[in-house]
Amino acid sequence: MSENSESHSGPLAVELHGISKSFPGVIANYAIELMVRPGTIHAIVGENGAGKSTLMKTLYGMHQPDDGTITVNGHAVQFKTPTEAIAAGIGMVHQHFMLADNLTIIENIILGAEPTDNRGRINFGVARERIEVLMASLGATFDPGTNVSELGVGQRQRVEILKVLYRGAKILILDEPTAVLVPQEVEELFETLKRLVLDGSTVIFISHKLDEVLTYCDEITVMRQGTTVAHTTPAQVDRRTLAQLMVGSDLPDPSGRETEVGEDIRLQVLGLNVASEIPGAKLALQDININVHSGEIVGIAGVEGNGQFELCEAILGLRPKLSGTISVGGNELSGSDTRTRREMGLSYIAFDRHREGLLLDSPLWENTFLGREENATLTAGPFMKNRSIEADSRVIIERFGVLTPSEQVPAFALSGGNQQKLVVGREMASNPKILLAAHPTRGVDVGAQSAIWDELRIARDRGLAVLLISADLEELIGLSDRILVMFDGHITAELDPNTATPEMLGTYMTGGEIVTSL
Amino acid sequence: MKFLQTLSVARRTIFLSLGFMLVLSAVRLITNADDITSSGTISSTMRVATPILLAGLAGLWAERVGIVNIGIEGMMIIGTWFGGYGAWKWGSWAGIALAIIAGSLVGLLHALATVRFNVNHVVSGIAINILAAGATEYLSIIFFKGQKGGGESQSPTGKGGYGEFDMPFLTGGRVGSWRSPDILGWIERKHDLPLLPDLAGFARGLLSDVYVPTLLAIALVPLTGYILWRTRFGLRLRSSGESPQAGESLGVPINRLRYQAMAVSGGLAGFAGAYLSCVFTSTYRQGQTGGQGYIGLATTIFGNWNPFGVLRGAILFGFPTALKFRDEKNVPALLLVVATVLVVVAIISFTRQKQILAMGLLFGSALSATTYFLVDEVPQEFVAATPYIVTILVLVGAQQQLRPPAHAGAPYRAGENH
Repeated sequence: MSENSESHSGPLAVELHGISKSFPGVIANYAIELMVRPGTIHAIVGENGAGKSTLMKTLYGMHQPDDGTITVNGHAVQFKTPTEAIAAGIGMVHQHFMLADNLTIIENIILGAEPTDNRGRINFGVARERIEVLMASLGATFDPGTNVSELGVGQRQRVEILKVLYRGAKILILDEPTAVLVPQEVEELFETLKRLVLDGSTVIFISHKLDEVLTYCDEITVMRQGTTVAHTTPAQVDRRTLAQLMVGSDLPDPSGRETEVGEDIRLQVLGLNVASEIPGAKLALQDININVHSGEIVGIAGVEGNGQFELCEAILGLRPKLSGTISVGGNELSGSDTRTRREMGLSYIAFDRHREGLLLDSPLWENTFLGREENATLTAGPFMKNRSIEADSRVIIERFGVLTPSEQVPAFALSGGNQQKLVVGREMASNPKILLAAHPTRGVDVGAQSAIWDELRIARDRGLAVLLISADLEELIGLSDRILVMFDGHITAELDPNTATPEMLGTYMTGGEIVTSL
Repeated sequence: MKFLQTLSVARRTIFLSLGFMLVLSAVRLITNADDITSSGTISSTMRVATPILLAGLAGLWAERVGIVNIGIEGMMIIGTWFGGYGAWKWGSWAGIALAIIAGSLVGLLHALATVRFNVNHVVSGIAINILAAGATEYLSIIFFKGQKGGGESQSPTGKGGYGEFDMPFLTGGRVGSWRSPDILGWIERKHDLPLLPDLAGFARGLLSDVYVPTLLAIALVPLTGYILWRTRFGLRLRSSGESPQAGESLGVPINRLRYQAMAVSGGLAGFAGAYLSCVFTSTYRQGQTGGQGYIGLATTIFGNWNPFGVLRGAILFGFPTALKFRDEKNVPALLLVVATVLVVVAIISFTRQKQILAMGLLFGSALSATTYFLVDEVPQEFVAATPYIVTILVLVGAQQQLRPPAHAGAPYRAGENH
């Protein structure tokens, strides 16, 4: 940890010491050290899953830490509910807005802290006056009497901030506030935050976008894999170092290939645009062009949530596209449903094996059969050939080294790594022409990882086209023949894995540019 | 129509009622069916509409807090039984009070199932309906069977005593022992004038021969509006129906509010049931509710989850039924009313670029009018079906503007939505 022990007068706004928090089966936070000086914008950066949100929920009283101490303005505190945190002057702006669409702006802001007379009647006049004063200090201009449903994303965020200020919060926690904003809105947001800090507030700003953090924040704490790994300032680090701190350690080598990439284009994505799920937000995918040849692995690098998920869903036909074309082996896919696409040779290792990849309560043989109901060797007309399916399941289990007593146990009984091997095995079993592999080795042990890599390499050498989405940069560099970087719904760079380094990827992934001197 | 949308719901209700009166007045002059706007019909409408109004308000309280209450029918059934029991033992007011308490308890049961145990709201509601039907039959066997006038399927006659009300001076109510003049009644009998007797009949219907429980029910409409839209309790309650996560994150006790609102909802439904068994009639009978709980829920939707809208819907349902009760020969005139109303709705639809709907409505209007001129007698069933037909048509037309509470019926567990 790079020590930043400059002397300052007065107590820290927030000090967390030795905080740990675990959920059943997961250690979300451990040995957290965080010091936030009053009157600063303090960034907490880290990859998704690094434990930033868990930590902030602990601070906001949404759950209690297993261990460690929380000090606010020099006083040791223990928050049992958010209400107690609010009373101590802490306010949180959630990543997903907590607004009631059919209520007015005033109603949303005063909810839970309504100015009333002694009979419980709300004094809307008083409320409006107070809100208008706060709006003026933020520079917000909307009529507080309108329904929230009529507001855009940036304005909704402004309402969320007003909610927090209305309760007298002096310490504001913003959980990835820029994730849904367009660039102008981001700038407006930081102008607002700067004003608040000048007025004496303290802002804790959670992000994984290094640009914003380096430009606008005063201090930075880096988190990785559940703990704080560094405390620094923008003056002390550059983007490269910060990316390195965020991304972390190495893994066994996935590289090596002897065969040549094929000539024919198996998967072609042209000018693809996909809308966001949040109405009024920017596009989830914008002008995406990708070609994957037979026998080629194209890696997609990117911090999660930058459009990779939408890309897979669009290719599979699970998500409507606004414009553009997707073709498999020269056939345009518009109008064909997901079943047809799979029959054309598309296969998919899903992002989240629990949500999308497996039926956790069903036995393994049902899971390996999923999505292969048209397979003539496994079915007879409308009937399932259970014997064949079970035999087929055993083959997959053996070939991919799934550790299980039999194919009859339910999927939830397997460890995460074995579940992943089962999913990969199923998707490879249908001899796909194109594989969309999202985090194929996430959460698996080193042995399983090299087994999955081997299978991918063998299939590739036989001509499989793979679109590999991964957060594991070593995996991307080692396996891919080309690496595309996705940021903010765009493809921002194409790199040669022979010359790319994890640092370079980290920079591109967080929205930076590299000035190359050839 | 722009003009109408700028008005508050209460004013819009008055404005639309006036327009409707104009239609009725014209139809009355054409058909000589004087009874369609007589004070008798209006007060009869109010009586028929009261339980529907109460059930509609029960639905409104439940859905505004985020719970779908299909169990209103069952809560009404419980209300009819306890109303009948209380009326038999102590009198109508006691029956109503007992029914409100019993209804609240069933409402709390629904809350317990949906809030605490996260049972699907519709499943829990249907279970309550089935449970209520069975439980009342069982209770009847225990308490009513063998009593004078009572049996497995009905209670002994109640003691009565709910009170009626006549406005002095306007409708001939008594001041002490002196009978004041009946001014509205005098105007009402000037049948040859347009509109004036209709308005007088309307006013007289609302003010004379009124059951006090009906007045109470009507008073609940603005009261509900005030509580839900002007008080802290109401704002928090509505936030629970719109976005419980938002409320929870601000320290609003969502679960407690849901229990409270469901107690109110159940109490209203119980009141609605008691109205049937100790005000509208004086005995509990099995199957007395006849699905009015569901109709009430329909008026919740029809009324756009607004108490004044619910009142409008309840009257719309009550009117044709009341006409039928009054005199069969009024019913053909209703056809002409339907025809006229359909034309008006068709014009509105047309201005909103819904040509196909408008054509359909016009066709229905023509059909209705032709039937009036060709047929002397209309089958009763038509009357019974009219409100439903009108509702479907209106709902089709109004669909786009309905704004249900965003979270009504959705599963919610405290602390799991972050």
